[in-house]
Amino acid sequence: MPENAPLLTPELCSQLERLELVTRKIFRGRMKGERRSKRKGQSVEFADFRNYVAGDDLRLLDWNLYARLDKLILKLFLEEEDLHFYALIDSSLSMDFGDPTKLQYAKQLAAALGFVGLIRADRVRIETLNQKPGQRSPAYRGRASVWRMEQQIQAIKPSSETNLARGVKNFCMRNTGRGVVVLISDLMDKDGYETALKYFVSHEMDCFVIQVLSREELDPDVKGDLRLVDCEDQDEAEITVSAPLMRKYKQTLDNFVASAQQFCTRRGMHYLLANNQIPVSQLVAKHLRRRGLVR
Amino acid sequence: MESLFRNTLGPTAWAVMAAIPLAIIALYFLKLKRQPLEVPSTYLWHRVIEDLHVNSFWQKLRKSILLFLQLLVAALAILALLRPGWQGQTLEGRKFIFLIDNSASMSASDAEGAATRLEEAKNRVAALVDQMESSMSAMIMTFASEPVVVQEFTSNRRQLREALTRIEPTAAQTDLKGALLLADGFANPRRTVEDTENAEDADAVKLADVPVELYIFSDGRFPEVGDVELGNLVPQFLPLGKSDTNNLAITTLSTRRAEANPEQVQVFAQVSNASDTEATADVALYRGDQLVDAVETQIPAKGIASASFLLLDDTPAPLRAVVTPSAEYGDSLALDNTAYSILEDDRTARVLLVTPGNRALELALQTERAKRFAKIDQVAPTELKSPDFEKQLDRESYDLIIFDQCVPEKMPAENTLFIGNLPPIKAWTDEQVSETVVGPQIVDWDRSHPLLNLIELGGVQIAGAQIVKPPAGGRVLVDSTDGPLVSMAPRGRFEDLVIGFEIVGKNDAGERIINTNWPRKHSFPSFWLNVLEHFARDSGSQSVHRPGEIVELRLAPAAGIATVETPDGSRLEAQVDATGRMAFQETERLGTYQVFQNGELAKRFAVNLFDRDESDVALRVSETGEDGLNIVENLTIGFVEVVAQPRNADIRKELWKLLLVLALVVLMTEWYIYNRRVYI
Repeated sequence: MPENAPLLTPELCSQLERLELVTRKIFRGRMKGERRSKRKGQSVEFADFRNYVAGDDLRLLDWNLYARLDKLILKLFLEEEDLHFYALIDSSLSMDFGDPTKLQYAKQLAAALGFVGLIRADRVRIETLNQKPGQRSPAYRGRASVWRMEQQIQAIKPSSETNLARGVKNFCMRNTGRGVVVLISDLMDKDGYETALKYFVSHEMDCFVIQVLSREELDPDVKGDLRLVDCEDQDEAEITVSAPLMRKYKQTLDNFVASAQQFCTRRGMHYLLANNQIPVSQLVAKHLRRRGLVR
Repeated sequence: MESLFRNTLGPTAWAVMAAIPLAIIALYFLKLKRQPLEVPSTYLWHRVIEDLHVNSFWQKLRKSILLFLQLLVAALAILALLRPGWQGQTLEGRKFIFLIDNSASMSASDAEGAATRLEEAKNRVAALVDQMESSMSAMIMTFASEPVVVQEFTSNRRQLREALTRIEPTAAQTDLKGALLLADGFANPRRTVEDTENAEDADAVKLADVPVELYIFSDGRFPEVGDVELGNLVPQFLPLGKSDTNNLAITTLSTRRAEANPEQVQVFAQVSNASDTEATADVALYRGDQLVDAVETQIPAKGIASASFLLLDDTPAPLRAVVTPSAEYGDSLALDNTAYSILEDDRTARVLLVTPGNRALELALQTERAKRFAKIDQVAPTELKSPDFEKQLDRESYDLIIFDQCVPEKMPAENTLFIGNLPPIKAWTDEQVSETVVGPQIVDWDRSHPLLNLIELGGVQIAGAQIVKPPAGGRVLVDSTDGPLVSMAPRGRFEDLVIGFEIVGKNDAGERIINTNWPRKHSFPSFWLNVLEHFARDSGSQSVHRPGEIVELRLAPAAGIATVETPDGSRLEAQVDATGRMAFQETERLGTYQVFQNGELAKRFAVNLFDRDESDVALRVSETGEDGLNIVENLTIGFVEVVAQPRNADIRKELWKLLLVLALVVLMTEWYIYNRRVYI
């Protein structure tokens, strides 16, 4: 898929229209219908109080509380508690592989999920792992922001200064609060993914890890004597391809995936292995629905 | 070790050979080039490699599977060059002569691994030829009754093998001596001495004497060969066939007129049994294609038996006797189971009597005994003038023409006998002073001459006679007081007998007179029997002709060409000379030959093997050796005893072909593995 192709095709959009993002951590048992109906006006159902910070909507101030306590406190109604959806894309060099590249696939997936969130008036923020700690990406809300979100995603390019753990840590520091975060990465970091994923544990977010692997990684078609060069750090591995070697590789890969899954499940995170041959629509509609990310 | 391998290369070649595997190994270990391939991450690969390093030995082995296969191919090729083999003496020497016996006994079917002994000989020679190197040269000769050079000295193995396929079996007997002499001629070139000024140089000029290996492939069925100097020849005798082979053969087939009744013919067939067991066989006689009779005969071991048949009808026909041994006998040579003979019309001689009428003479010539000797034709002297007479003389060939009371105008090309007249030859007439005597008294006759055998002419009285003095070279048979009365002289190839007195005659008045009382004596019919016996010739149809011999026949001289039909149906032409003789040479086949003149059947003759020695096809065996094996009897050539080689000694089984095929298979496997990257 060429890099400049639109991430969200009309067919994909029409499929995604029927979905909505779900999270089970917050608002369990909320009914769909309620959210929808509350779009046009303020809700009357009380949800929470929050201290006022500069920039909040003044209309939300609860004057009764100000009178009683002499503090500026916002009264939050249900509609205020929209879902914060974060898509965290791994844009390291190792993602720039495959056909379509894993990065393109990740971008498309992020765009699709972001789209679902936007049409449901959820707040969507797209971030990458190599973002600087202080650099915040814009939040999008509403269907009107779809194309801006798409632009941002489209502009993501593979970069060499990406470290899984540091990127996740920066994300967590940047974005406190609740929400759903979808980490789209291949988890192929030399330092291991455990450190990175542990940051999510302490975070209060509902975490989805989607490991995207290319077909060449899942089922390599190599022959003969080769010197494998890592594209990120130029590390070399010399192999002589033989049947036991390939069996070993598959076994190692399976172990890796299984341990990642186990790691995530033990810590209450969701995990999904995706390969870049599955169409995004199928991944979202079928697999993510099964996992409970969308409904 | 030496017999296992044959070194075919020199040391430099071996050095190169040894370098090849080293080069292969060096190329493999010098630098193993790996193709670089970019991957997203080597994270997992490192984990894979680490785990696999536990079985590093097998990993290295798998890595080097291609190396191993290439080394294997090189090793197989080098091993094939070493020509490993066993069971063989190697072929040593520079020049070889292969003598192959293709006589009748070599068609016996007791060979190992081949249909006949000759096939086995050809196979073994082919195996020896295969072992020849480029510096060796060989020639191939066959010998039966005479030697034939099939291929002259050449080092081209293909030519030698083609020459082998040309060798055909014959039905002839075996004569080794001629073959040895011919081989000797090829092997020992005569020394030449050049005229040089220096006497020492003369000695030094000699043709190089290279010892020539002579391989004789035969079954030994021939008489001892003496008087042959082997010179450069190094003989080796390779016997073929088994010593326990059975063979029945007909060794004689003869016909004879029955004593009692000359119209009947007795046929005798003699069968010989060349095995150690008694045999029972059917002997059948065929006349033309019709079976006349069959007799069951028992032939003792290593002995002979005879079967006889009686033919009531004596019309001329070809005869064939066939012996059929029983199935369990295992007759190995079928060639000698059939014998051929000709039953011919001729009594032995043909005699023409030209007489106006001579009762006594006619009676004497037609006695029972005379009929056995000759068949008499009679014509009157008036016929002498007719042109038919000339033609008749041309057509029939007479052994004797008796001119009684007449004289022909010119002498015929036959033997003649004149009664009462001189032959119209200058030699005779010049001698005579035309003298007629009256009442000559016989004083002496030549008793030693076969014509006057047992003849007593004592009381013979003659009225009137002519004196016949023989010309130069002739002899007087009967002498009288007045001079010779009976004389004989040769005329070229013929003889003329002249009796000076008539037996019966005509006087001037034309009346019949009796000139002598000889017809009333005992000696008269005896004399005429002697005459018939003397002039009766072997007409050639009763003698035994062996294959390959020249057959001489007497035919009518008229046509210059005769056509001979051989037993296999082919027709050959033969020249007939002015006197009617024909010599025919292509008698290799056994059977009945028919001679046609002017499209008509003139004569037949038969060619048979009839050789007891040749039919005794078992390998001659001398006393048993120490370990109980029969040792084949050795040949004796000149004063050299040639030891018979053990049977399996000379076919060397070589492996190089198998090794090359294996190398090819391994090469293809290696190609497959390399191309398909088959994982093991």
